[in-house]
Amino acid sequence: MIAQQLLNGLFLGAVYALFAVGYTLVFGVLDILNLAHAAIFTAAAFAAFSLAAAGVPLPLAFLGAAVLAGIMGILLDRVAFAPLRARNAGTLVPLISSIGVAIIIGAILRGIYGVDERHFTVGGLDTAPVIRLGPLTFTTVELTIFLAAIVLMLVLSWILRATTLGRRIRAVAEDRVAAALLGVDLERTIAATFFIASSLGGAAGVLTGLEYNSVTLDMGGPIELKGLAVIILGGMGSVTGAVIGGFILGAVETLAIAYGLSAWRDAVLFGVMFLLLVARPTGLFGKRALRAA
Amino acid sequence: MNRNTVPALALLAIAALVAPSGAASKGPAAGKTVHVGVIADVTGGAGVYGTPQKNAYELANEDVKSGKIDAGGANLVFDVQDSATDPAQAVNLMQKFTTDGQTPIVLGPTLSGEAFRAFPIAKAANFPVMGTSTTAEGVTAIGPTVFRDSLAESQVIPTTVKRTHDKWHYKTAAIIYGDDNAFTKTDGDVFARELKAAGIDVVDTETFHIKDTDFQAALTRIESKHPDVIAIGALFPEATKIIQQAGKLGIKAHMMGGNGLNSPEMYSVAGPAAQGTVVGAAWFSGAIYPSNVDFVKHYTAKYGKGPDQFAAQSYAAAQIVAFLVARGATTKDEMTAGLKNVRVIQTVLGPIGFDPNRDVKSSPVILSIVKDGFAYFH
Repeated sequence: MIAQQLLNGLFLGAVYALFAVGYTLVFGVLDILNLAHAAIFTAAAFAAFSLAAAGVPLPLAFLGAAVLAGIMGILLDRVAFAPLRARNAGTLVPLISSIGVAIIIGAILRGIYGVDERHFTVGGLDTAPVIRLGPLTFTTVELTIFLAAIVLMLVLSWILRATTLGRRIRAVAEDRVAAALLGVDLERTIAATFFIASSLGGAAGVLTGLEYNSVTLDMGGPIELKGLAVIILGGMGSVTGAVIGGFILGAVETLAIAYGLSAWRDAVLFGVMFLLLVARPTGLFGKRALRAA
Repeated sequence: MNRNTVPALALLAIAALVAPSGAASKGPAAGKTVHVGVIADVTGGAGVYGTPQKNAYELANEDVKSGKIDAGGANLVFDVQDSATDPAQAVNLMQKFTTDGQTPIVLGPTLSGEAFRAFPIAKAANFPVMGTSTTAEGVTAIGPTVFRDSLAESQVIPTTVKRTHDKWHYKTAAIIYGDDNAFTKTDGDVFARELKAAGIDVVDTETFHIKDTDFQAALTRIESKHPDVIAIGALFPEATKIIQQAGKLGIKAHMMGGNGLNSPEMYSVAGPAAQGTVVGAAWFSGAIYPSNVDFVKHYTAKYGKGPDQFAAQSYAAAQIVAFLVARGATTKDEMTAGLKNVRVIQTVLGPIGFDPNRDVKSSPVILSIVKDGFAYFH
C-alpha cells in the first residue's frame, strides 16, 4: 500500500511543483506575489478544454493553452504591474492589483463558460488505459502528466542556467538597477519572465484538468494556497526549492491520509511546514531573508 | 385572516386530491397578480446548484402562463434574485421580500448555511418560507413558518442502507465523506449510525474537503481494509471523482451514496466505473408521474440538458405555491395556513405533503446507476 501511496504523492507533487515554479519565478524577479497566477492556471484549463472540444488534438491543445497563458501573463504585467512599477509603488500595491486581475479573469470565464464543471471528452482518466506494475496502479494519462511536468521544469532550469535570457532574468532578480545599468532591457526581461511563469502555471492548469477530467471556475482555489505554501517552504524565489517543496507537499498530504489521518490532513501538512520553517526560516533553498518593508 | 378560511383551505386541499389537474381553472384568485420571491445562488461557489433552480422557476413562469401549471387563473410570477453564494446577500434579499408588501412567500435560499441566517428574519416577520435544497438538520426547526420540500439525507440514507443490505448481504463497510459541509457531514454521520445499527462492521472512515480532486490516497487506504461496500457522502463534483478513481485503482467493493449523487450527468462524467453504484434520492428523472415526464422533456428542450434534483425540487415548490394560489391563497397568512393544512399535492417529486415539523412527507427512491442514466434498484 505504501508504494502506491508514494506514487500517488509523486503524481500530486509534480503538478504542485509545476504551479509553484511559475509563482516563485515572478517573486524571485520582481519581489511581488502574483495572486493572479491561479486565475491564469484556471483560464488555461478552460482554453485547452475549448480547443479540445473544437477537435484540436490534446497535445496541441495543451501547447496552445500554455502559450495563451504566457500571453495572458505578459498582458497581466502590462495592466497590473508595469504602471505601478513605473511609479515605484512598492510590493504591496501590486498584490492588490493582481487580486483585481484575478477577479476580472474569473468573471470573464464565468461569462463565457457559466458555472458548470467541464470535462474533456477524450483522453480523460476514465478512458485512459490502466497500467498495473506489481503493487502499483496508474494510468497512461497520469504518467504523461508526470513526465510533462518534469520535462517542463528541466526546460526552465536549462533556460535559466544556459541561455542569454536566463542570465538576464537572473541578473534582474539579483539587482534590477545594476542589471539595467549593465544594459539589460528591463521591461523585455520582465515580460519574458511573465511569459515563462504564466505558461508554466497554465500548463499546470491543463494537466490538473486532464488528470481529474474536470475543469471548474474554482479549480485554482486550493492550489493557490498550496502553491504559496510550497514557495515559502522551498524558499521564496528559489526554483529548485519550489520543485522540492511541491514534492514534499504531495508526499506529506498523501502519507497523512495513508496513516489514517485524513481528517487532520491539512493540520499535518501545515504542521510539517511550520517545523521545517522553524528549522530553516528562509525556506529550504532560500538564500536571503525577506527584505524588511 | 378569517377564522373560517383555514378549514376551508384544508377542505379545498383535500378536494384537490380527487380533482383532475392539468387545464387552467378559474379560482378565487383569478386575475390577481401573485409575486413570489425566490432566493437562489445563481453565481458564486454554489452557482452549480442555484442555476438549475433559477432555470426551473423560469420554466415554471412559462408553464403558469401556458396553463401547464394551474394557478387558478392568477398571474403568478416567480421573481428569482441571486444571492451569489453570500449569506449576507441572502439575508438582504429575505429582508427585501418580507417587507416589500407584495410578496406572500419566499422560496430558497440554496444552501443550509444561508437558510440558518435568512430564515430567522422570516420567522420574526411571521412570514412563510420554503427551502427546496436546504437539507441540513434543524432548518425547519427555525420557526413555525419554515417549510421545505426537499427530503433530508437523514430521511433517505436509512432506506438506502436497508435496501442495499437486503440485496448484497454485506458484512463490512468503509465510509468516505466531506467533513467541511453540512450536507456531506450529515451523510457521513447518518451512514455510520445506520450501518452500525444494521450490525455492519465499519472498517475505515475517511474524510475529505469540498473541492478536493484527488482521492487516491484515501481510496488506497480503504482498499487495504477490504470492505464489502463503500458509502460515499459527497456532492456531485467530488462523488464522480471518487467513483472514477476507485475504478482506476481496481476497487471492486459495491458503492452507494445519497442525494448528492443524483445528477443526470453521473454516468457520463464518472464513466463506466459508476455502473451499479446505488443512489438514494428524493427524485428520479425517469419517474412516470405525468407532470414529471413533461417537466423533464420541456426543461431539456429549453436548456439543452436534463434537469437535476435541484431543478426538480424547485419546480415542485412552484407547483405547491400554484396549488395554494389556485385555491385562493394570496397573502402570507393564507400561504402559511395552506401549507400547514395541505394533505397531498401532485408534483414532479410524486405525491408529497408536509409532516407536523413542516418537513416534506414523501418516499425516497433507491436508484442504481446504469449506462447513460439511472434505473430503479431492485
